[in-house]
Amino acid sequence: MNAVDTAIHVAAKSIRLADVTKAYGKVNVIPSLDIEFRSGEFTVILGPSGCGKSTLLQMIAGLERVTNGKILFGGKEVQDLEPKQRGCAMVFQNYALYPHMTVAENMSYSLKVAGMTKPERQARVKIVAGMLGLGDYLDRKPGQLSGGQRQRVAIGRAIIREPGVLLFDEPLSNLDAQLRHDTRIELADLHRRIGATTVFVTHDQVEAMTLADRILILNKGQVEQFDTPKAIYHRPASVFVAKFIGSPPMNILPAQGDGSVLRLSDGQVVGEYGLKGDFQLGIRPENVVVEQGMSGGLAAPVRFREDLGSHSIISVDIAGTPVRIATPFGGVVPDYTRLAVTFPMKALHLFDGQTGKAIPEGFGVASKDGK
Amino acid sequence: MVENARSINIVASLILLVGIIYILGPLYLTLTTASHSYEFMLQNGLVWSPGDEFFVNIRRIFTETSIPRQMINSLIVALGDAIATCVLSFLSAYAIVYFRTRWAGVVFALILATVILPLDMRFVTTYQVASNVFSPINALLDATGLNDLIAALFGAPFHMEWSILNTHAGLVIPLLAHGMGTFLFRQFFLTLPRDLFKAARMDGAGPIRFLVDILLPLSRSTFASLFVLTFLSGWTQYLWPLVASSTADMQTAVVGLARLVPDEGAVPDYPLIMAGAILVSIVPLSMIALLQRYLVQGLILSEK
Ligand SMILES: Nc1ncnc2c1ncn2[C@@H]1O[C@H](COP(=O)(O)OP(=O)(O)OP(=O)(O)O)[C@@H](O)[C@H]1O
Ligand SMILES: [Mg+2]
Repeated sequence: MNAVDTAIHVAAKSIRLADVTKAYGKVNVIPSLDIEFRSGEFTVILGPSGCGKSTLLQMIAGLERVTNGKILFGGKEVQDLEPKQRGCAMVFQNYALYPHMTVAENMSYSLKVAGMTKPERQARVKIVAGMLGLGDYLDRKPGQLSGGQRQRVAIGRAIIREPGVLLFDEPLSNLDAQLRHDTRIELADLHRRIGATTVFVTHDQVEAMTLADRILILNKGQVEQFDTPKAIYHRPASVFVAKFIGSPPMNILPAQGDGSVLRLSDGQVVGEYGLKGDFQLGIRPENVVVEQGMSGGLAAPVRFREDLGSHSIISVDIAGTPVRIATPFGGVVPDYTRLAVTFPMKALHLFDGQTGKAIPEGFGVASKDGK
Repeated sequence: MVENARSINIVASLILLVGIIYILGPLYLTLTTASHSYEFMLQNGLVWSPGDEFFVNIRRIFTETSIPRQMINSLIVALGDAIATCVLSFLSAYAIVYFRTRWAGVVFALILATVILPLDMRFVTTYQVASNVFSPINALLDATGLNDLIAALFGAPFHMEWSILNTHAGLVIPLLAHGMGTFLFRQFFLTLPRDLFKAARMDGAGPIRFLVDILLPLSRSTFASLFVLTFLSGWTQYLWPLVASSTADMQTAVVGLARLVPDEGAVPDYPLIMAGAILVSIVPLSMIALLQRYLVQGLILSEK
């Protein structure tokens, strides 16, 4: 198998967006972006629906024009080039295969347009089909394939031209859970083998966490955070990121500092803290500690419990705010209607009360990912 | 059918039967009439039993009337209408669906308006324009006062004449101003995956290549449906060919058939007329028989 794998060679290129803006008429979809995707890197763009992920991807691809700013591939300006001149390929959410062409014709259409001879095309199709396990389906039409197979054809069509930049727009969202899991692993493997600079759009955080070298979190066309999955999980830059990542996501509670202690909105004391002002306190469900004696700590009336086998998720109210607690693996919490919990200081995230931005010097947060 | 009761089945069958008799009865009478001689008909009127003069009557159509020549006219009109409608509709629907054209919505609304305002309703103006293709320009120049200027500069106002009445083009072109085909193609394009166009662009295909390599092969059955529908409507046009053609050898077969009825006095030669009617219907009938599938498809699509 390795003998054929080596036949796909890509020259990965870095992608830089320099002060890129995009507006549709009066609607300013992307106010201003200045980011770089490193050469050969696998970047996942994550964000809520309508935040401009597809728009961003299509600007990189050349399917949408930038309103302002520049796009550079490996230092070369490409914002005014047609897609075919940029050397990038794209996989679409609904695959967008040509219904009247066979698998082989679908995959080799770009080569045909580029004027490659038939024997050369067939050789390339064979290599790519081998990589993707499509060898037996080359003469079928897309309508005669399963969802997963169509997905592979779409990927094959993208990589056959050996693009330096590979773009994916929610390519897994039409697959069922099992197939999505398998394809995810195959994609990671494929990326390792062909090494193209990859930008992958999704709104599935599991895909983002498992595939990405770095995750770009977009909100209303602006960067919330652009960092490694680990850093995004352990050091979220804002309440938005904190709520977006993690399953269940981080609990956020309003709190006030009076210069000596930090209090929740109902006056309960969380711990000692030196700064004054309004804050938003964040704690991950798995970091909340349930007190053994069911006394002391913060009062937490139980609303309901979900038992997931390996652990349970307990929903409680603390100072009028819903908080979810994940019990440790195999941990059993008695079936009380009231719990007492504590928030360990070193697991707490502190965000500004108004802007929602992280306060880095919070509680020595930097040490939390073990560094 | 949701209901499955026997009595309902029987009632439904009866209704169908009545419908079939209602449609086939006159057709049968056409056949029997065409198989008698004129003299026989004068004596007996229209009869339900077949006679033996059918081929004689058919031969008389070829020897005594212009119907054969007029059937060629009909063929030119129907084919011209069908082919030109297919090409124009395909291209305009392509522009409307795949390009972010300014005013695309307005253009599409205007195209749809032609469905609501068919030729029969724009008859007089269409006739005026066909009798002088330049008349709109002349009128515009007159109305804006530009012609006074031209007259002052060049000594005479701009005034040109070009009549397309009594030509094949004049018979076909007004029939083309009909938005149904554009609508049909638009509906079909909208059922295709939205990203197909983008995928083709990523593969390096420009708008023309996309049109030829992707859209055209996918549209085959829509083409067939529209072709059958417009061919049939072109073949059976009556009012426009009647006024737009003034000589017998420019008239279409349907008009020619009607002209076989003498203006006044004598009893029409019904056997001859019926034989002609059968001859003239053979083309559309065989078309329906061969391409029935596409006809039904087209009717369903155009109703959506
Ligand atoms: N052609 C267009 N004309 C006008 N507005 C558009 C156009 N395309 C997208 N938009 C708007 O731009 C915004 C971003 O759209 P985009 O498709 O990039 O979102 P997205 O992040 O990909 O969302 P999703 O996760 O739902 O795919 C949306 O508010 C959308 O309404
Ligand atoms: Mg999208």
